[in-house]
Amino acid sequence: METRELFWEISSLGHTLFFVVAGAAMAVAFAGVVWHVYRYARARRSPVPVHPWRGFWRMVFDVFSQRTVHRRDRSAGHAHTPILYGFLLLLAATSIITVEYDISEPFFGFTFWHGDFYLAFSLIADLAGLGLIVGVVYMMWRRWQVRPAKLAYRREYRGETETRPRARAWEWDDTLFLWALLLIGVTGFLQEAVRLAMDQPPWGPWSPVGWVLAQIFLGLGMDEAAAAAIRRANWWIHGIAALAFIAGIPWTKAKHILAVLGSLSTRDALALRRLPKPAPARAAAADDTEPEPEVGFGSIAQFSWKDLLNLDACTKCGRCHEACPATASGAPLSPRDLILDLRAHAAQSAFRPGANGAALIGDVIEAETLWSCRSCGACMEICPVGIEHPPMIVQMRRQLVEDGAMEQQLRDTLDMIANRGNSFGESPRSRGGWTSALEFPVKDVRAEPAENLWFVGDYASYDPRNQDVSRTVARLFRAAGLDFGLLYESERTAGNDVRRVGEEGLFESLAEHNLEAMGAAKQFDAIVTTDPHSYNTIRNEYPDFGEVAPIRHYTSVLAELLESGRLTVVKPLGRRVTLHDPCHLGRFNGHYDEPRRVLELIGCELVDMPRCRDNSFCCGAGGGRIWIPDPVGKERPAENRMHEAASLGNLDAFVVCCPKDMTMFEDARKTSGHEGDFVVQDLAELVAEAIDLKSIDLKEVPALVDRITEAAATRIADTVADRLAERLAETVTERVLSELADRAPTLTAAAAASQPASAPKPEQQAEAAPASGPWRAAPVTAATLPPYEVPAKEGPRLLVAVKRVGELNPDFAIDEAGGTIADEHFEYELNEWDEAALEEALLLTERLEAGEVVAVTIGPDDAEETLRRALAKGAHRGVRVWDESLRDADPVTLARVLAGVAAQETPDIVLTGAQSADLGHGATGSALARILGLPHAAVVLGIEWDGADAMTVTRELEGGMRQQLTLPAPALLTVQTGGSTPRYATMRMIKQARKKPIAVVDGAGVGLEQAGAVVRRLYEPPKSGRAAMIEGDAEAVAKAIADIIRDKRGEV
Amino acid sequence: MAGILVVAEHFDGVLRDVTLEMIGAAAEIKDGLGGPLAVLVIGQDVDALASAANLEGVDEIVTVAQADAHFDPALYEEAVCAVAEARQVRLVLIGHTAAGMAFGPAVAARLGSGFASDVFGLTLDGAEPIATRSGYGGKVSMDLAFPDKPVIVLTLRGATFKAPEEAGSASIASFTVELDAVPGAGTHIDYLPAPPADVDIGKAEFILSVGRALGEDTNLPQFSALAERLGATLGCSRPVADSGWLPKAHQVGQSGTIAGNCSLYLALGISGAVQHLAGMKHVDTIIAVNTDPEAPIFNVAHHGACVDIFELAEALEREFN
Ligand SMILES: Cc1cc2nc3c(=O)[nH]c(=O)nc-3n(C[C@H](O)[C@H](O)[C@H](O)COP(=O)(O)OP(=O)(O)OC[C@H]3O[C@@H](n4cnc5c(N)ncnc54)[C@H](O)[C@@H]3O)c2cc1C
Repeated sequence: METRELFWEISSLGHTLFFVVAGAAMAVAFAGVVWHVYRYARARRSPVPVHPWRGFWRMVFDVFSQRTVHRRDRSAGHAHTPILYGFLLLLAATSIITVEYDISEPFFGFTFWHGDFYLAFSLIADLAGLGLIVGVVYMMWRRWQVRPAKLAYRREYRGETETRPRARAWEWDDTLFLWALLLIGVTGFLQEAVRLAMDQPPWGPWSPVGWVLAQIFLGLGMDEAAAAAIRRANWWIHGIAALAFIAGIPWTKAKHILAVLGSLSTRDALALRRLPKPAPARAAAADDTEPEPEVGFGSIAQFSWKDLLNLDACTKCGRCHEACPATASGAPLSPRDLILDLRAHAAQSAFRPGANGAALIGDVIEAETLWSCRSCGACMEICPVGIEHPPMIVQMRRQLVEDGAMEQQLRDTLDMIANRGNSFGESPRSRGGWTSALEFPVKDVRAEPAENLWFVGDYASYDPRNQDVSRTVARLFRAAGLDFGLLYESERTAGNDVRRVGEEGLFESLAEHNLEAMGAAKQFDAIVTTDPHSYNTIRNEYPDFGEVAPIRHYTSVLAELLESGRLTVVKPLGRRVTLHDPCHLGRFNGHYDEPRRVLELIGCELVDMPRCRDNSFCCGAGGGRIWIPDPVGKERPAENRMHEAASLGNLDAFVVCCPKDMTMFEDARKTSGHEGDFVVQDLAELVAEAIDLKSIDLKEVPALVDRITEAAATRIADTVADRLAERLAETVTERVLSELADRAPTLTAAAAASQPASAPKPEQQAEAAPASGPWRAAPVTAATLPPYEVPAKEGPRLLVAVKRVGELNPDFAIDEAGGTIADEHFEYELNEWDEAALEEALLLTERLEAGEVVAVTIGPDDAEETLRRALAKGAHRGVRVWDESLRDADPVTLARVLAGVAAQETPDIVLTGAQSADLGHGATGSALARILGLPHAAVVLGIEWDGADAMTVTRELEGGMRQQLTLPAPALLTVQTGGSTPRYATMRMIKQARKKPIAVVDGAGVGLEQAGAVVRRLYEPPKSGRAAMIEGDAEAVAKAIADIIRDKRGEV
Repeated sequence: MAGILVVAEHFDGVLRDVTLEMIGAAAEIKDGLGGPLAVLVIGQDVDALASAANLEGVDEIVTVAQADAHFDPALYEEAVCAVAEARQVRLVLIGHTAAGMAFGPAVAARLGSGFASDVFGLTLDGAEPIATRSGYGGKVSMDLAFPDKPVIVLTLRGATFKAPEEAGSASIASFTVELDAVPGAGTHIDYLPAPPADVDIGKAEFILSVGRALGEDTNLPQFSALAERLGATLGCSRPVADSGWLPKAHQVGQSGTIAGNCSLYLALGISGAVQHLAGMKHVDTIIAVNTDPEAPIFNVAHHGACVDIFELAEALEREFN
């Protein structure tokens, strides 16, 4: 009967030996699997929801279709498919034999591996083996002859000239894997061939490969003895190779065979589009009272099981390496190497926890590697095994942000966003400024309902080139009768990139703010935006923080308006253009077709770049990179993209549909030398041309819908307003009267206290000597403040005075009659000199390993934010003193108040800034020292103090000279900037700082006494003698300046 | 109860310019205010300093002997208060300098006087002094009055008032103040000179200065290359030096170097804080580039432009290529 003998001429010893070896191999493999599962089980929970069953079927599909392996590398895909199927079928074949030989026959006496089944089995197994060998041979040829760059492990993007030892181990891993497969396949056929040559069964041709080989052997004159010898030896070679392979599965490259099942099943459908919130605090050690909240990943122990599984699944195929814009532009990041380094570190740490002592960030992965990522998602999008690199990068960035380890410009930008709600450092009030040049008013959704809320975003609001685009879009909407309104200054940075930078706390507060602003707005049905970044976060991330209306990108809106005829093309453009797919629109959210539809509708000929749609090449701005300068001298991603576009030839325009793209490419077009080749245009600008927007009178003909809604709204508003006013008048009067009755005495006191400083009350006037009175010295004294609870001292106490300082908006106005500038003209931040003082205080306590830093501020409620910033950086307690009389207090008054606080705190060192950035008196500190009778030094750059009764101080003199001196302690020092770099406080730290106590102390009318001066007049300095302004753009200015320089040098 | 007391500031045996300028400012209002103009010199070797202070308009020079030559705010405060009290002066003028900032406000607090700092305009309303100072980086000016204050202490901005040109004929008298056991005095250890450097802002004729607008040290090469191309010396404002992006020697200004020989100054992304202006506002030709049209640097510049400095740098680079 058709079958074959399994253990031909194998002695019983051999038999036993084989089973021992087989058992051992299985055990090794099994141990590996258990070990990995154990590691995953011990790792952190996945921060994102995992739906393994839903994912399972997609994984099955992806594995069997080999869809992901074919993408962007078809030949590798074509080779991998027969390897996979060959492997699976041979595995199945071996399993069938095992089932019969070891189970069904010995236990049930049932056999099936014979007859027709055997013939079919032989044929299929032969073809599978052939496929495997062909695939493997092609892979060998590709790896060692074709040598695609993405398979090289030498980090040329980092300037490596030698392959590092670990990478050489990876090469071995690849080599061994291929040779092992080849060996198993070839010895299998050899075995078959010699068996067929010896036995020559009539069904031989059912094993076609082996049969042909057998015929060749026979033809070459192989005799029975030779065949038998080969058959005997080769059996062991084949068997042991196969068993060794099995043993090696969990430990070598073959690991991906198993890991991929997990990593593909647990793919996060929203990966990177929606980043996870930080993991909740883990229970703390027994001695620790407060559990440490998890900020990000500072050690491999913080990676979730899903991350570890991802790491294990990597096959080093290099697709991510090839797709990454950072790698392509020579930045010190390759997503593949990042994953491989993490994997090696994870494995090492798992074997010997902590033994290698390497810090995750710094030793294993460098900070600059993490900062190089543009969060464009190209790596994870192309990864055939479903690795999600960028979320891990962001987790590690969170740790960097927490440690304040980031570039200055990024820090400044984050501060600006926190303080002003935009990354430009502009006044929030000018956010809607771009609308003023429109010929029609734009609705304020806070005041009247609109169908669409336009969330504008920072770049489209503040960047001049993008403001043009915003206006064009507004006009298009207007022309189409699309009803929209803005949130104006209630809108803040959406936070997409803030989150990807890793400043999670700031992102949360931005999301909460914007959601609140939307919630407080009048009725709207949907959100529109031109900014794909805002689009992504509002669509995918805001829902984790609250309810949010559906959002659409303007490309979809324009496509719809054109298709429905609300916008009609009158001049098909007939231009040859290419389109850049924004990462956040295309790859993140799948909108590849809408902008293309628009281009088609307006009659453009679209020529796609080689890298388009899901393979679109990032402009380099994502992930907060737009706030971090790119290194000079290297080609930036945007420049790389410009070359790609130029290679298409004869382009009229490079079309963008993302404000950041506009900024990046407008710049790169010039720097890459393609200025003459094509222009960068926004999609909306092309639409405007095609519909001849200029010819439409937007002022006179408000769209019909508009007019109707407007009329209705006014009518409703009128009626409501009347009724509201009535109701309000009633209730307010009622409430005020009853309040007055309750609080009559306090009210009068408060009214008295809020008298301005410039108008002292009669009784105070009597107290001060009139100018004509006798000369006398009347030392200023500490203000008597109401006592507040001051904890007992434990170690030295450092009191630091911090002030929030106002910076004037460009469009500020002085109320000269009142001698004041209204609050709305200011943006507030922490005084930089006070920040330096605080840093010195923190450094002192850190060096002493003892002591308490108390931050004190004089300011109204909203100045508490400043205090909290100081607490976030490490101050232990805060004190805030306020009453209205202190609003425009002079330095003497401020010093008196601070002295009142110091009297209760009895500090060992008092630190203030050398001056404040707003009024620049440079006086409060020294006046305070005198009132307290403390030794003091001004403009100090460094303090050395061991807690004893003297300290060494370095103070700055004019001209860069410094003086060192000793001062008795306690003392007061006013601190100059530049001594040490102030640390960064993340929004999370600021929020956490809410738990730290702040004592609020009543200023008790101190501002009414003993001021040093009275403001007579407040005015803008005369404009005479000001510079002659050179008008025009940078080009024109450069020319004019060049002329002045040449003229000065006598060159003309 | 009359007269003006100018507190002389000196270093290394030389009167600082601000002292002479204060004398000039005081001489201007002396008659309207009434009383003599006295200069107080506190120091170890006061005679040479006293004669240097003997300028037109000075009526008296008062010297107070100090055991060593090093400035100490506690000693100055003690001496100034003693002299002011003994002479019942109406107005005390102190330089708004690193030293003046240390003892000026303390004197004011001790006397309970009227007080204003960084004053750049001093006038009279009748017989009442009015001090002008500014705020918000020079965008707002304010006139201050000191009603009901028998004595007023002002710290005056340097390089602002005009020093008298002629020598004076003041009497010189010494005044004894016990300075040996003033509580809170420090002990001098040493002076640390500015670190040696490869640039000399003081000698440079053409300076291209960058300010905080630079944003990041990685942006620096663009500007150093531009400076080289233009044949200019690269200068900077304080934040750039504070951040360590350029050595301190490049810093222009009060606590940096005065651009003493400069005839062309190109200020890129510098707001024009008073301490920066102190180092460059005398320059013949100043060109300022700043995106903020209200930036106070435009008050001293001769040519100005509101464009982005990075774009400008690129354009200039092309222009000179
Ligand atoms: C005792 C003491 C001594 C001091 N000594 C000195 C000193 O010697 N020298 C000195 O310089 N400072 C000194 N300072 C510091 C001084 O007060 C200011 O803080 C400092 O001069 C500000 O520097 P800046 O103008 O570069 O920065 P900022 O005041 O921050 O100004 C930056 C300017 O750049 C503009 N800008 C931003 N981006 C752009 C862009 N892309 N294109 C064009 N413009 C842009 C902004 O509009 C702004 O006006 C001293 C301070 C003290 C207290």
